[in-house]
Amino acid sequence: MSFNPFAIADTCLLIDWAYWRRRDVLFKLFNTVFIPEAVLREVRSEQTIEWVATSLAEGYLALITETSDVIELATRLVERTRLIPGLRGVDMPEAICLAIGKLRGYVVLTENRGALMAVDLLEELSSVTVWRSLEIIREVIKRGLINEEPEKIFKEYEVDTKHRFPRTDLEVVLHELKG
Amino acid sequence: MSLAVLERWRRLEEEAREIRRREADWEFIEKQPPRIKAALKYYIEVGDLYIASRIAGLTVEEFNDLRKKAGIPNVV
Repeated sequence: MSFNPFAIADTCLLIDWAYWRRRDVLFKLFNTVFIPEAVLREVRSEQTIEWVATSLAEGYLALITETSDVIELATRLVERTRLIPGLRGVDMPEAICLAIGKLRGYVVLTENRGALMAVDLLEELSSVTVWRSLEIIREVIKRGLINEEPEKIFKEYEVDTKHRFPRTDLEVVLHELKG
Repeated sequence: MSLAVLERWRRLEEEAREIRRREADWEFIEKQPPRIKAALKYYIEVGDLYIASRIAGLTVEEFNDLRKKAGIPNVV
């Protein structure tokens, strides 16, 4: 499968990812990972700031400024998700990433469940690819960028970041990787 | 819109909420100032880091550190 060499990541994804010992593998998967300017206001720890600044300097991360068409679409997505019963509303930070994913074809990297639900349920977002850390690591393993036992790699991520993969989703991915 | 898909998401949300409730350090949470306590409880129920950080009056990363201290897993 080929996919866009560009991705856009939100704060929720980056602040976890920055604590993973193999975090730089992200840049073997994508040429450039864009981050909205607002992300810089949300990071505080030395570890994350140092990683973000170094990656910006090396060109692996790049800032993206929201254009009027992105803001307009993002605002519409915020409203739409709030009109559908049972759908969790998305807020502007995730909506901006989803809008860029739709308009530019970038892979959206997020841990926000509202964004995941929106892509699953809204027809106008059906073309958008959204990956959590679960899917990013799956791709890393599938492409042979890390050649170790998948269970060990996912466990490592959980330990480093205090993240928890839903067991059912993790089992599906592990089965796929072994198949 | 598929009702089956909505139902699957509802189940996933409930499972994640149960894990957050079960693993949270409630003693730590109850000792926090009102704004922080409310934000942590909101996070346990909803799992939305951005809104929880706004309730707490912190950046997203500052709130995420607090989440870890409170033993609440980020289930996604």
